[in-house]
Amino acid sequence: MTFSLDRRGLFRASAAAAAAALPAWMGPAAIGWDPALAQAPGGHLRVGMTASAVPLSNGCPDQGGEGQRFMGITLYDQLVMWDLSQSDKAATLKPGLATEWAVDPGDPKRWLFTLRQGVPFHDGHVLTVEDLVFTFDRAFKRDAPWFDARASAQVTPRFPTLARWGAGEDGRFWLETSIPDSTIPYALTWLGVVHKGAWEAAGSNWDNYLLKAVGTGPWKLTSFSVRERAELARFDEYWDKARVAKSARLTLLPLPEANTRVAALRSGQVDFIEAPPPDALDSLRAANFRIITNAYPHNWTWHLSMVEGSPWRDIRVRKAANLALNRAELKELLGGLMIEGNGLVPPGNPWAGNPSFKLVHDLPQARKLMGEAGFSAANPLRTRIGISSSGSGQMQPLPMNEYIQQALKEAYFDISFEVFDWNTLITIWQGGAKGPNVRGCTGINFSYAAFDPYSAFIRLLKSDLHAPRGVNWGWFNDPAFDALFTEVYNTFDAAKQDALLARVHEKIVDEALFLFAAHDLNPRAISPRVQGFVQAQSWFQDLTPIRMG
Amino acid sequence: MNSAVANNPTLLATPAAPARSKGYWAGVMKRLSRDPVTLVCGAILLLMLAAILLAPWIAPHDPYQTSMIRRLKPVWFQDGRYPLGTDELGRDMLTRLLYGGRLSWFLGITPVIIAFGIGGLLGIVAGFAGGWVNMLIMRTTDVFYAFPSVLLAVAISGALGPGISNAMLSLTLVFIPQIIRVSETTTTAVRNLDYVESARASGAGALTVVRVHVLPNVLGPIFVYATSLISVSMILASGLSFLGLGTRPPEAEWGLMLNTLRTAIYSQPLIAMLPGLCIFATSICFNLVSDGLRSAMDVRS
Amino acid sequence: MFFYLLRRLLYAVPIALSVSLVCFLLVHIAPGDPVNAIVPADAPAAVVEQIRREYGLDKPLPVQFVLWLWHVLQGDLGRSLATGRSVSEDLYAAVGNTLMLALAAAGIGFLAGTAFGTLAAAFRGTWVDKLAVAFASAGVSVPHYWLGMVMVVVFSVMLNALPAMGAGPGGSASWAWDWQHIQFLVLPALTLSVIPMGIVTRAVRGTVVEILNQDFITTLRGKGLRRGGVVRHVVKNAAPSVLAIMGLQLGYLMGGSILVETVFSWPGTGFLLNSAIFQRDIPVLQGTILVLALFFVVLNLAVDLLQTALDPRIRRT
Repeated sequence: MTFSLDRRGLFRASAAAAAAALPAWMGPAAIGWDPALAQAPGGHLRVGMTASAVPLSNGCPDQGGEGQRFMGITLYDQLVMWDLSQSDKAATLKPGLATEWAVDPGDPKRWLFTLRQGVPFHDGHVLTVEDLVFTFDRAFKRDAPWFDARASAQVTPRFPTLARWGAGEDGRFWLETSIPDSTIPYALTWLGVVHKGAWEAAGSNWDNYLLKAVGTGPWKLTSFSVRERAELARFDEYWDKARVAKSARLTLLPLPEANTRVAALRSGQVDFIEAPPPDALDSLRAANFRIITNAYPHNWTWHLSMVEGSPWRDIRVRKAANLALNRAELKELLGGLMIEGNGLVPPGNPWAGNPSFKLVHDLPQARKLMGEAGFSAANPLRTRIGISSSGSGQMQPLPMNEYIQQALKEAYFDISFEVFDWNTLITIWQGGAKGPNVRGCTGINFSYAAFDPYSAFIRLLKSDLHAPRGVNWGWFNDPAFDALFTEVYNTFDAAKQDALLARVHEKIVDEALFLFAAHDLNPRAISPRVQGFVQAQSWFQDLTPIRMG
Repeated sequence: MNSAVANNPTLLATPAAPARSKGYWAGVMKRLSRDPVTLVCGAILLLMLAAILLAPWIAPHDPYQTSMIRRLKPVWFQDGRYPLGTDELGRDMLTRLLYGGRLSWFLGITPVIIAFGIGGLLGIVAGFAGGWVNMLIMRTTDVFYAFPSVLLAVAISGALGPGISNAMLSLTLVFIPQIIRVSETTTTAVRNLDYVESARASGAGALTVVRVHVLPNVLGPIFVYATSLISVSMILASGLSFLGLGTRPPEAEWGLMLNTLRTAIYSQPLIAMLPGLCIFATSICFNLVSDGLRSAMDVRS
Repeated sequence: MFFYLLRRLLYAVPIALSVSLVCFLLVHIAPGDPVNAIVPADAPAAVVEQIRREYGLDKPLPVQFVLWLWHVLQGDLGRSLATGRSVSEDLYAAVGNTLMLALAAAGIGFLAGTAFGTLAAAFRGTWVDKLAVAFASAGVSVPHYWLGMVMVVVFSVMLNALPAMGAGPGGSASWAWDWQHIQFLVLPALTLSVIPMGIVTRAVRGTVVEILNQDFITTLRGKGLRRGGVVRHVVKNAAPSVLAIMGLQLGYLMGGSILVETVFSWPGTGFLLNSAIFQRDIPVLQGTILVLALFFVVLNLAVDLLQTALDPRIRRT
């Protein structure tokens, strides 16, 4: 085979020869997959996702951040939303279906939301405050006839403090939390707003609703096949005229295999792929595809179990693992598409602080620590880590973990892996280290976004946020941390809160509570036909400005 | 996959021939020596076997030593220090292929050997004993026969979870019924031959009859059939690894290497294809040797 | 003939039952509590208990089997852990897609195999024969999923001539028999066809050679029968065993397309199996295997009956 891409001349010659030998109807000219669609105004954008199935269309998607990115904020709006219109600064919150929100001056646990007027759903229904009550009942009220267990499982961990909600007499929506919680607006970005009529139209059945999903978002669902694809069409009556989608149609394809994504992009079957594999980047650039990257608050770690019997309870072992890892080499593996692990926030973040434990590569020190902990080359620490085969934010999980496995081997670790489907690993993360499906894993390779104090630190480490209430996966329990978190909840001054969070982060790094490996740069590859895309510094992206050239 | 060979009468072992004498085996060797394809393939296989067995001594590098600086380097990198280049984690490809061959061969051959032992025994018992014993064994076999082999292997590995031992277990279970069928058919045919009947009638013990008359006639065809399964087994095993159901990193195994090198097909196509070539070469050699053996042992040819 | 038919049909029943038993046991050989294999990890305790009762998981194993079989006979293969959808619904679409792929691959493989095999037999000993046999050996020896990857790089990425993945521009639900759609079938079907091509070539060659060597052909030729007459005799005598092999091959293609479907993202049973395995979605795994194995049992039966109809001398006991 002569398809080395270095030898492009040779390749072109042989390709031309082969093409000439092919019957005319097989030639490249015949490839317009669907010419009718491509000619629709604004064109037809086709996206290859890393998920192994189409994320749920019910407003509380599964498949993690990727689900929210492609099915959550496309079909639905939330009370509070992310402003994804700029690529040169970190994304911030903006009013969504609530035009404004505030804490009740008399009660720090009570929040009030003023709803946007005249927002149409895809089926013509206009948003009311009852729809908000329905949306919350559906996700959190276990005895409601319209309770949706699947949606609830996705959003419950985002709302650990939610207590009550309802429609106020003034037409405003209110909710109450169990403790003062300034992170509520962030949580609200995860809850897509639905309405009761649409559920009834689907036979009052949330399974059927997946096929007939109705939101207020800039795209409406035209077809949904969970294992194959979702087809979305522009919603012309979208309330925010600035964000009416430019392209007429949007197709979302689950393509968990990195190679399949590249092949699909290069053969013109999709226009936009998530996480192209590093080894394909040069060939993609050479073929005129654009690779775009951007920093966003993201962590790629091994989340360690602190349950009795876990080897990671020993701080020397945790430090040794962190010192054994050569993050520069890991970066090399990814073709430079990562930031070296800096803790739970990337370097330069206001909460990064100045930890005394430095995340450097120091093998002799790692070995020394492991020796002190009772391990040696002859008697390595044997344990098992759960990893995913693909997944949004998981970057290139298989080679990265294999690399770490080898790096840690130098410091007397004998790591074996249990490979899970990404969505399954999410379930395991939510189920905690004592959950039924961990299969003996004492750690899981998990990636998170650090949007706010809650998602960055509190949910991972506060002692009472273990499963099923939160994602303190390792059942970590340290009163010193709990005290710091309580202080964070009660500190309303932004600068003081930042200083406090920096102290929290310093402590997290000093105690090496995770194996800090990398921060993602969120690489994407797009076809030259994709115009107008603005990559926001966020886990989420807005597809509405894209127009197909 | 190609286990349908089992159901192909023309590819099956020949009907039991008369008891094989020394003259017969001499004839087999003679016919083999005139078959260049079989000889060449056999030689290639022996060379491969020697190379992978000697891997710890002849491999130029450590099979697990990664290096990000020299990842995915082309063939003959550093003037031959890395004769076949390096893989996605910077490990020497030649070394990985040699070590990978050990596991691939092991995964390919062990299930066949175990199945040969168990299936051969059960098949001979079924064929020789006849009656309800035959009924019991053969009807049980029919059930496993009702699963296409890839499906059965995937089902068992899928339910038990990934891992070498589970993959081997599932492959063995796939092959046992196939070997039982072949050995039962051959044994039944031999048992019904006149002189075997008369030996039994003259009061010879069952064990003696089996040892003197049945085994020498039956083992050959079963063995030939088993050799044809090795290639199937290797492809299946590598397929399981490719799906993530067989070997797990960092072990070197051709199927798994093929899987992990997939994304390199755009930057180093040759390197990415090497493990596939190894599987292909080994598999085709086993197939051709098996063909050669069969036609050499078939007195009609 | 009638009684033979009846006996074969009756014999298929215990086989089908045993196949179901094997599929049933898959849940129990999977590590962990079987109920974990059936309900989502986050299900409340009450739901877990309800499912345990519903599926009789608190009862002895044989009773559980009967209960499960009762569910299956009613078309209830359970619900997918991953999607919550009914397994039968997912399977319905997937089986159709796989059948389409398997039939296409079988068509290519059988046609090419018959052609190569006949040519090889007719020109026995010549280079044509050697080439055909080499081709056949390569076909059964190549790891076909690897071949598929190479074909994607060549035909989709480099030549941009054929789609790399998927089942049609609008997904399998909007399939139509025009080139827009059929082009999606070409690469996976070609990849999948190499094995039956190899096996059919070898089988056809062997059978035809054997028949050509037989006395009656020589006699026919001696009688001055024209070429066409000889061919008719050969076809008539070779057809039953060749058909049997082809039938089984179709079954193997149905059950063995998992690797090819994974490489090409073809939304069939293999793709379903692959995702079920990594999602630890045992109900989907169980249902898919059951349906495919039962399909294979029926196919075997059909092949037997067809064979008997063509040549009444062949009767399996």
